[in-house]
Amino acid sequence: MSAGVDFAALGLEGLRVDHAAPFRMRRVAEGATVLTALDGRFAILDDDELRAFARGEVEEGSPLFEKLAGANLLADSFDVPAAAEMLRARRSFVGAGPNLHVFVVTLRCNTSCVYCHASRANMDAVHTDMTPEVAEKCVDFALSTTNPSVTIEFQGGEPLVAFDVMKHVIEYALERNANLGKELEFTLVSNLSLMDEEKLAYLIDRRVQICTSIDGPADVHDQMRKLPKAYGESGHALTLEWTRRINERYREMGLDETLYHVEALVTTTRALLPRWKELVDTYVDLGCRALFLRPLDPFGFADKTGDRIDYPREEYLEYYRRAVDYVIELNREGVEILERYAAIFLTKILRGEDPNFLDIRQPAGAGIGQLAYNYDGQIFTCDEGRMLHEMGDDSFRLGDVHTSSYRDVVGHPTVRAVVIAGQLAGLPDCNDCAYQLYCGVPPVHSHKTQGSIFGRMRESTLCQVHKGIQDYLFAKLAEGDAETRAILERWTTIRPREHFLHGA
Amino acid sequence: MSEQILAVPDAIARADMGDGSVELFVDESLYPLEAVYGASFTFLDRCFVFLDRPQPGRLRVILSAKKLGASPEVLREMVGEFANELLACAWREKITERNRATIEAVTMQAIGGAMGPPSLDDLEDFDFTEEPFEDPLGIAMSWEEKYGKKTAPPAATEGDEE
Amino acid sequence: MRELRFPKELYLGEQVDAALNVFARFGRLERDEDELTWIVRVHAASAAKERRLAGELANYALGATIRARGER
Repeated sequence: MSAGVDFAALGLEGLRVDHAAPFRMRRVAEGATVLTALDGRFAILDDDELRAFARGEVEEGSPLFEKLAGANLLADSFDVPAAAEMLRARRSFVGAGPNLHVFVVTLRCNTSCVYCHASRANMDAVHTDMTPEVAEKCVDFALSTTNPSVTIEFQGGEPLVAFDVMKHVIEYALERNANLGKELEFTLVSNLSLMDEEKLAYLIDRRVQICTSIDGPADVHDQMRKLPKAYGESGHALTLEWTRRINERYREMGLDETLYHVEALVTTTRALLPRWKELVDTYVDLGCRALFLRPLDPFGFADKTGDRIDYPREEYLEYYRRAVDYVIELNREGVEILERYAAIFLTKILRGEDPNFLDIRQPAGAGIGQLAYNYDGQIFTCDEGRMLHEMGDDSFRLGDVHTSSYRDVVGHPTVRAVVIAGQLAGLPDCNDCAYQLYCGVPPVHSHKTQGSIFGRMRESTLCQVHKGIQDYLFAKLAEGDAETRAILERWTTIRPREHFLHGA
Repeated sequence: MSEQILAVPDAIARADMGDGSVELFVDESLYPLEAVYGASFTFLDRCFVFLDRPQPGRLRVILSAKKLGASPEVLREMVGEFANELLACAWREKITERNRATIEAVTMQAIGGAMGPPSLDDLEDFDFTEEPFEDPLGIAMSWEEKYGKKTAPPAATEGDEE
Repeated sequence: MRELRFPKELYLGEQVDAALNVFARFGRLERDEDELTWIVRVHAASAAKERRLAGELANYALGATIRARGER
């Protein structure tokens, strides 16, 4: 409960807690301590306020009293119905069934990424293409979900290598959904190097969202994501060119560019750490509205190349803070761009809502929010579980589309285990962490890095990243600057992209 | 042969460099058996794990490196990581017990909501014969069996009349 | 020869038997028991093979015991 708070330095012997409702606390900056209530509301106290709170000297009607009561931190005014409602809102996704269905339509890829998480196959490995029969079974399976919304996400390998399979999935899913009436979306995750006008016309016509990877400036991107010369001089140039072209197409269609644009993701490698400014500028120059500063994952080839491209997470957090400071600065100058990690956490912190990002929620999305379908029809709790299968570990395999029923798969003992393991109320450290209600850890990450789906958060690099980012965000809020707060609040706005919805 | 490569007393842990193994002694009043099982399970892919109980209340965990010739660093890491995992398991068990109601409620809602109600096909496949149940209220009886006309008694014969 | 003595209060007998079935083809395994332990004697072509076979068998028996207890 006293994470980072030095009571002796504050002239305190401890806490008088009889006046306080249950709370968790954490020091986020010099002179700033965050207290979080059971329902996730929070108050940031300066040292004088913390001393008064710790001594039980909170006078009714005082500004401190109002601050604490407003965050549901005082026993006498603890609002049980409001707390229950807020907790319900924070778990609104529970009970709806898998929404995200990842289709690995092929393992073939024309690019060799040093960190490839997907365990790509060479371009001649045609046996790793999904057949039309398997594709249809995967669609039928995905549409069996209890969730009224379904997103089919095309992954690989490089999905554009198996464009015909993708098209077949889309056409078949639209046909099948005509009777089912689910809210159906399609997302393509691609390096865009195999894009052409014909493919783009089809994707635009079928309202497929497009995501790509841009790992910073050209030299870093091309070093990490190696594209053979046969496809072009630079993978970076191709990705940027098509990103611009697609965004232009959206504008020509009269779509709001703040909502409709290629989503680009960063995989942070060691070479990128000192290049945070160039990275942000690359995204801004492209007209991107969001930047997702993801650290390296331990899956796929990254497991072997980590020595060359991984880094201590303290260095990542320094890079993160510098980059986001710069992003905030750009926002002050009128540039609209947000950092996705920050937006996810801030939506929970400031709005009390969950944006349903499957890897940072509890329980995590594995099996109950997401299913991944391999090219051969095998089903996994999540794409990372599928990646582990390619590494020889079948711990997260749930069945296959040929022999398993939908209820067999989502009711699988492995799903139950990861749902339990993904609840922070059952994990040491997390149970007492001030950020418990804003956080989440995918059990597959703990399994891969620590050999147990429960993990040990004190030693978890993911916990270190999540805590470090939230420390940074609370420290920003503690600065009390109205403009910064307004920028951070703007990042939490959730606007649905209705153009991409079918059957709504 | 025990060797002093670990910075703990022999009564807690000791190493056998020749066999590439370490022994840890666990006080069961501090670490319940379930925690020892939990920690051991996470080591099965890395080590050969063997448990015994040399005396009541004291468990012995033997971890042997899968490959022979493990260095002192590897053995030290095995001991340290096992101790951390053991502590995490023991603590997690207590926390789970304390928060059991919340965890169970969320788990049931998450799994139940994702599975949805069984379809007719699911019910058709369900094996109702596996666990026969008693039916004291006659719920499984047909309407006719429960409330229908009883079979008429055989007609009385004249001789029966008084 | 390598002898494994699985305490009956820590290992389930049926899971030790299951391990014996799985690994029987890798060496000669003798099963025995006394009041407190299931005993398995492992014979293989070399000491290194005996060590590995005994280790894998013990892991299987322990993993299966933990799983089976969890399902009860």
